[in-house]
Amino acid sequence: MSLKDQLKIMVVDDMTTSRGLIEQAMNEIGIWNVVSEADGQSAFRTLMAKPVHLVISDYNMPNMDGLQLLEQLRLSKATARIGFILVTGRADNAVLQKGRQLGMNNCLLKPFSVPQMKACIEKVVGRL
Amino acid sequence: MSALLDGFFEECGELLESVFEGLSALEADGGDQEAVNAVFRAVHSIKGGAGAFGLEALVAFSHVLENALDAFRSGAAQIGSKEVQLLYEAGDHLSDLVERAARGQVSGGEMPDLHRALEGICGAVDQEEDAGLDFQPLTLDILPLEPEPAAGFDIVFRPHATLFENGHEPALMLRELGELGAIDVVADLSALPTLDAGLAKTPVLGWQIGLESDCHRAQIAEVFEFAEGLCDLEIIARDAEGLKVEDPVTQSDIDRPEVVERAPARETIRVDLARVDRLINIVGELVISEAMLRQAMTEIPVAKYGPIEAAMGQFRQLSGQLQESVLAIRAQPVKGLFQRMSRIVREAAREAGKEARLVTHGSATEVDRTVVERLVDPLTHMIRNAVDHGLEDSDRRQASGKASTGTVTLSAVHRSGRVVIELQDDGGGIDRERVRQIAIDKGLVGESDELSDAEIDNLLFRPGFSTRSEVSNLSGRGVGMDVVKSEIQALGGRVSIHSEFGVGTTVTISLPLTLAVMEGMVVETAGEILVVPTTALRETFKASNAPLHALGAGGHVLNRRDGLVPVFDLGSALGFRTAPGEYGDHSLLLVETEAGRRVAFAVDRIRDQREVVIKGLQQNYQEIPGVAAATILGDGRIALIVDADQLAEPAVRGGAELYGGAGYVQ
Repeated sequence: MSLKDQLKIMVVDDMTTSRGLIEQAMNEIGIWNVVSEADGQSAFRTLMAKPVHLVISDYNMPNMDGLQLLEQLRLSKATARIGFILVTGRADNAVLQKGRQLGMNNCLLKPFSVPQMKACIEKVVGRL
Repeated sequence: MSALLDGFFEECGELLESVFEGLSALEADGGDQEAVNAVFRAVHSIKGGAGAFGLEALVAFSHVLENALDAFRSGAAQIGSKEVQLLYEAGDHLSDLVERAARGQVSGGEMPDLHRALEGICGAVDQEEDAGLDFQPLTLDILPLEPEPAAGFDIVFRPHATLFENGHEPALMLRELGELGAIDVVADLSALPTLDAGLAKTPVLGWQIGLESDCHRAQIAEVFEFAEGLCDLEIIARDAEGLKVEDPVTQSDIDRPEVVERAPARETIRVDLARVDRLINIVGELVISEAMLRQAMTEIPVAKYGPIEAAMGQFRQLSGQLQESVLAIRAQPVKGLFQRMSRIVREAAREAGKEARLVTHGSATEVDRTVVERLVDPLTHMIRNAVDHGLEDSDRRQASGKASTGTVTLSAVHRSGRVVIELQDDGGGIDRERVRQIAIDKGLVGESDELSDAEIDNLLFRPGFSTRSEVSNLSGRGVGMDVVKSEIQALGGRVSIHSEFGVGTTVTISLPLTLAVMEGMVVETAGEILVVPTTALRETFKASNAPLHALGAGGHVLNRRDGLVPVFDLGSALGFRTAPGEYGDHSLLLVETEAGRRVAFAVDRIRDQREVVIKGLQQNYQEIPGVAAATILGDGRIALIVDADQLAEPAVRGGAELYGGAGYVQ
């Protein structure tokens, strides 16, 4: 089984549009095993029951932002080893710094192209 | 891609709503951090989406706005009332850019001054942004997802009596379990008492369940979530060979994610409007067929009627509820509409060189979507009027001891099955002497006419009336208050104006909650069945008992305590017959128009009063003067719904000519 087929990914974004864009990118890359959630809370709840390999999450979300979700994931044994890519609209050093401390695997600046997204994932999991 | 793009613009609408919501919170209590955050988040989301779709102008502007908001957020810049106004302006511009982008205009429409003003705020923020992300990726080994999915589970489930006492049903849980995979359920009958031992008082059944599924344990636990503590439950995972792969875990051991519960966001789905309309139409038909059924029942002998009656009552109640619920789908809060109006106030004030603010009440009040949409134009015009003509300029306000900023208050409230929207300004009020003089100059009223205050105020709604000699950029856009009035009336609404000199003016609009049904009086005349909307109806009586006086050739007036009311044959007005010379057996309906004029319609017979489903004529036929719409009655016949206001006009005019006076005779 190739890595693409094996890889299971969750997309987290409160905006339907951006969620759709990331899902569409996954589709074009050829990653089929994709689930998505519209907020950090439900993402965390779902991941507790059904973990994935990699979470691709937006940073800017109400109630629980991307980094808070990452923190929650790292705190719980069942989800601590899930990979995490943060998608953000701003190159904010403080955010990157905090992400690094929390064990964020990679990040991507919006707007992104499909090859950029692919490269970003490959840097974490290896060649797709 | 285009579906995503459409979705983006739709989402932008919601995001812009949050922007203005945040701004009004900022305006109300200064530097609320959460309000700034909310505005920032919304603008940021717009920028993100716009970037993905290459909407350059939108990206450029939301970027600088975002930076300014970030400066406020981080405390690098202070937010005061001047800044809030700037942000409002920026929000308005952002709305414009979104609208332009939605129309396919990717660039253009920039406002350099606004851009610079925002840049001035965020000047303090460092602009290292475009340097890109400097981040060392952390690699990850892709292992099979843990825990290794089990091939199946063995579950032992034994309910306690409390489970049944709490109203839970094991069969439903087992069925739900069956949705996770193939299940094999064996009932444990060992505790079942023999027949002669009598009835068991405590539950005696248990089940052993084999589940073949690669689902996670938590999903199984979820099925039994509500049975927690009300049963014995064991879930044991096994691998393909049927061996236990884990120690048994009992219900209490299952770790539950400790998540702080927040109030759940309202769950919504997006539905094509056409589907909702179809549903509304069907329910409308259902209401009609219910009426038909009721009609048919009146012909059944009472002995047989009785048993059906109860069922019929329930049916009627249900169809009523169904109708209400369906209409509620189309209902939406007036919030969006009110927010748009706050922009109109800002713009109008800027153009008129006045200071004004909008205060809204009851923005959660829900009204039919179509009503909301069709209120935009009349309300816009009225708000412009209020700012332009109603409010005085700051100097004059201060001279008369008022706050220098004028206040326009917009409120919505549900009142007896209608929604009442009130627009109030704290301006100078209507200058009645001037209004009267203008009306005389324009020939709308005679020099010697005695007019009450209310009548003078209502002159504003007359076609061709404008108090400003010069056409101002604001209100003078080719629509007068007469157009506002007819638009409101087209929605089945009423509009009235009340003013106190020096204190302010209030315009009140009363609207039906929906355009789909209305209350009407069903009447018969000239062999036709007609419906008169009850909103216009004031009183009904028999012509034979009424103080009728013949007047002129075939004309009649009704003598009322407070004046004479012209009588007018409904059948002949609509061209069904020529007017009868005498009214004997006829019934009279006293109708009052929006302008407060009264006229009595003569009809052959009044049948009953009921709710009717409105079927538009325009789209199926054409507009007919005096007819507002049509409906289908219980017996399947089609009845025209009368436009009382329109019909009353010629009658009143006729009367006015007869008496040489204005309107009706006092």
